[in-house]
Amino acid sequence: MYNNDYFRNNYKLNTSYKFTDNLQVTVSAEYVKSGSDNRRFTSSSDFIWAHRHTDYNKLKDWRSYYAIQRETFRPGDDYPYANWQHEYFSNPFFLQDVYTNANDKDRLLGNIALNYKISEHFSVMLRSGTDFWSDTRRDVTGVEFTKNNVKRFGSYRETVISSQETNSDVILTFDKDLSSSLSLRVQGGAINRVNNFKRNSVLVGELTIDGLYNLGNFASPVVPSSMIRQQVVNSVFGAATIGINNALFIDVTGRNDWSSTLPVQANSFFYPSVAVSAVLTDMFDFNTRILSFAKVRASIAQVGNDADPYMLNQVYRAQGLWAGTTPMYSESNAIANRNLKPEITTGKEVGLDLRFLQGRIGVDLTYYHQSTVNQILAVSISNASGYASQTLNAGQITNQGVEIMLSGTPVALPNGFSWETQLNFARNRNQVVALAEGLDNYILGVQNSLTSEARVGQPYGTLYGRRYQRSPDGQIIYRNGLPQLDEGTHAIGNIQPDWIGGFSNTFRYKRLALSTLIDVKMGGDIFDVGTGLARKTGQLAETAFGREEGLIGQGVMNIGTIENPVFVPNDVIVDATTFWNNQNPRTYHEAGIFDGSFVKLREVALSYTFPKAFLGNRYIQSMRLSVVGRNLAFLHRNHPHIDPEVDMKGGNAQGFASGEMPSTRNIGFNLNVSF
Amino acid sequence: MKRTLKTYTLQVVSGLFLLLAACTSEFEEMNIDPNNPTQISPALLLPFAIQTTADRYWGHSTRYERLNIDAAMCWVQHLSRNIYINAEGDNYEIPLTIASSTWQRMYNDALINFEKILELSAPDAPYANPNYEAVGLIMKSFAFAYLTDVFGPIPYSDALKGTAETAINAPAYDGMETIYAGMLADLALANEKIRIGRDAISGDILFQGDMLRWKKFANSLALRLANRQRAQAPAASEAILKKIFSDPASYPVFTSQEDFAQLHHVDVIGSRNKMFDVFSTRSDWNISSTLIDALLQYEDERITIFAEPLADGSYRGLPNGLTDAAANEIDASRIGLYYMRPEAPSILMTSTEVRFIRAEAALAGILSEDPEALFAEAIASSFAQYGLEMPVDYPSRLGALSMESLMTQKWISLFGQGVEAWTEMRRTGLPKLPPPHPDATFVNEGVLPTRIEYPVSEYSLNRSNLDGGISKLGGPDTMRTPLWWSK
Repeated sequence: MYNNDYFRNNYKLNTSYKFTDNLQVTVSAEYVKSGSDNRRFTSSSDFIWAHRHTDYNKLKDWRSYYAIQRETFRPGDDYPYANWQHEYFSNPFFLQDVYTNANDKDRLLGNIALNYKISEHFSVMLRSGTDFWSDTRRDVTGVEFTKNNVKRFGSYRETVISSQETNSDVILTFDKDLSSSLSLRVQGGAINRVNNFKRNSVLVGELTIDGLYNLGNFASPVVPSSMIRQQVVNSVFGAATIGINNALFIDVTGRNDWSSTLPVQANSFFYPSVAVSAVLTDMFDFNTRILSFAKVRASIAQVGNDADPYMLNQVYRAQGLWAGTTPMYSESNAIANRNLKPEITTGKEVGLDLRFLQGRIGVDLTYYHQSTVNQILAVSISNASGYASQTLNAGQITNQGVEIMLSGTPVALPNGFSWETQLNFARNRNQVVALAEGLDNYILGVQNSLTSEARVGQPYGTLYGRRYQRSPDGQIIYRNGLPQLDEGTHAIGNIQPDWIGGFSNTFRYKRLALSTLIDVKMGGDIFDVGTGLARKTGQLAETAFGREEGLIGQGVMNIGTIENPVFVPNDVIVDATTFWNNQNPRTYHEAGIFDGSFVKLREVALSYTFPKAFLGNRYIQSMRLSVVGRNLAFLHRNHPHIDPEVDMKGGNAQGFASGEMPSTRNIGFNLNVSF
Repeated sequence: MKRTLKTYTLQVVSGLFLLLAACTSEFEEMNIDPNNPTQISPALLLPFAIQTTADRYWGHSTRYERLNIDAAMCWVQHLSRNIYINAEGDNYEIPLTIASSTWQRMYNDALINFEKILELSAPDAPYANPNYEAVGLIMKSFAFAYLTDVFGPIPYSDALKGTAETAINAPAYDGMETIYAGMLADLALANEKIRIGRDAISGDILFQGDMLRWKKFANSLALRLANRQRAQAPAASEAILKKIFSDPASYPVFTSQEDFAQLHHVDVIGSRNKMFDVFSTRSDWNISSTLIDALLQYEDERITIFAEPLADGSYRGLPNGLTDAAANEIDASRIGLYYMRPEAPSILMTSTEVRFIRAEAALAGILSEDPEALFAEAIASSFAQYGLEMPVDYPSRLGALSMESLMTQKWISLFGQGVEAWTEMRRTGLPKLPPPHPDATFVNEGVLPTRIEYPVSEYSLNRSNLDGGISKLGGPDTMRTPLWWSK
């Protein structure tokens, strides 16, 4: 990547000292210094808005053309760089040169632990660890230019973030084999977690001296902002593991948390778990030549969670100054909830692990069902309520699925050649079972008014938006040669894949190993605004067709009346610009829906382990050299243009894309040396 | 041995509990938001809410959200687009985000804050002050009028109650008749509540705390709304028009440029005129040939304000609804430098409009005054607004006074207030727009949009109430179903 860098240096110290036979103290510390002069490429959406004829070499070498091009600037305009045009598109190389995002981060991790063995079976550990970091970021957001006789100033933002998490705990452990067939391990303890976070940020909207990025260099009032978050969670917990005949294991845990983020009357919550696993082959001693190992496992576990800080009270938010003099505040768009409760997730899982032929073939099956009650969500509500979202304890949200793993070693020859293979399959389904009184829809994400929604009782992640009018047999209805939109919104896709899977193979021969990994995602739609827009702008190859003579959309047109339609094939020619504009996904959402399936050759790695003799000294224990290629090829995809493995928004808002940088293929060398 | 261990464990664990209990006592204090206040004076809420209202009404600078500049001003053919004509409004196709952002920002940034001001300044509230109440009522009516005139039936009585005692997060829709009655009642109440010379307010970026001007705004806005609903509620509307115009002592209205409801901008980021922000960064608009031709026909000097001359000193407009390619062939006038000033005001309502309403009422026989004289005063007021003087013979250039000539002049005078101009065009069907240019293509079946469609979010989040709203609308949720006051 052009003008982009990153560095990181780690310094680590681990030390342990035994004061007596019973007392051991361990201290570790790590300092990490990282930073960048320009962290990323801030996309200029080249694949949507650049022209096909743009010569990127010339754009990159813009300084050589600047003087010539400056002569051609429209009267009243002046820009600090050369571009192929200045109205709709910025030179991405100039952006990358000047609109930099630098940062400088210091991180310190420290840990001290004291282990004291009270007796043979009884010990206590006291431990405290902290993770502190501070990050200073400088983002250039504008440079000086003149347009339409109006001078615009440079601008930048400086942000300092500091964060600290400190965990302190005490754990008592009792560990004893009560008899030859019964073992017991009991733990009890307490944890204290403290989180502190602060972000101070100043936006200098107008710089006096362009290019001098200093907070004192302001030409008009700067905009400071500050955010503080503090949170403490205290916990006590107990756990017991009972082992019977080393074949049947029972785990029981219980934990109670007190969190500062919940209302005082509801800030304590308890969550237990029970897990049982049994190695059937050992218990019943039926291990045969074919079935060599069989284990079943089952568990029920609860996990409790608190809220983010400050969600209980309705607040007003600062909105800066009007005219540089009058302070402005407004009601927060989010409705707070002073009756928030902790959220509790109950997970049930059963699994079966079978191995055949002395482990040459293995099967692992898992079914899980998670149900979260009182999940703390900011749920979108009608803006007409005066607010955009409401923080609530959602009734019930479930997540269930199956995972299947087959593994095997089909070939293992005495000459050292072996082939190991593994096949994974997983299918997961989320569902909103109940939300809250009067609310039945949880919006996961929004783009251009298309929404990804989890309606109560409906499939999770359904995309609702504008669709084309279609005839009874499913053909798009054209009018005057253009596709028409249906009124209102409709389900036009779903983000959830039917299944995901992986297929990995490793071939070894003596010191050589070749491994491959194929990743599969089948089904699941994406709303890709970028591809739709790049068709509208005529960037993509398919838009060349009919550019001179116009084109006829594939579908039908109604030559009857609205009440009694008569559909015949569409035969109206429209010019290409108009035609592709009606595929503009900002309005014609359906035109932005693509299948997100892919089969990718994710990784191929070839490695060679050097013989001990070659290393020839006692300091180097082992050495391995590998060539690793990642994201090497698509074996299958239905999307005609982009890598459908995109995530524009993150979090719950999966399945959105808009002109992201393409994913990269990379090939690298690894040298692993152990001393 | 075992017993001692047990006792020891118990001691440690109960000690821990005590320790934790001591820590948790500070939890409540720790969870008080150190970033945002929970208590506030109306003076701090007023400026942001006024600014949002003016911003959405007059300009707004975010692309795909500019209802006034990209939709309304193009639809009344004050402006025309020279690029993206077929995707951003000019050919009647608008980005969905125009509806969703107008809806969201008006309810969530403007109206809710006016509602909070009313709450905080009510007689038994912490900041009891009838003048804040009056300001809240007036601005709430202005904002609701803007929304209902754009969408039709909207949540009104049930709206803004997300944090009320009995909270409503999915409010029902009211018909426009109910909303208009509610707004007119609120404006009358505001006129009564205002106390001039006491109960000072601050944070008032519109009138700098001048309560007489607020009183004038309340009554002028009541005139606008009464005149708008005149065909549907003639008796009530005529009574209001007569009452206000005949008793200026009890019901003062805007009479001069000094009275205007207009937000004064300053040349500071975020406080500049939004038309300046938009037109100085992009060059995608020209003045519509419809407006230029009308101004040239009347030899109207206001053309020098609205439009920039071409290099040869002449003015030329760009027809609406062309293809980008066709528009590219035409060298047309751009918006006048008057609007390219960061300090140009955002206008919410003028005394010129009050004069046009008065002339219309006289023409309709509601007031027994001379409509011709009132009409001439209204036009003169529009000229004066830009520091121009109406030529003495100007009214004679317009032919006989009729609704057509009156509405044509009102249409010219509303340049910049595109939504108001569009609303008046929808109400009266006047002035009639010229036939489309041969190279122009309009969607929406070629019909001038009668409204904009409800935001998609209401389909997702408030469906059953939305369905009620659509049935009150009396037609499908398209840009072709006429609104109540135009039927």
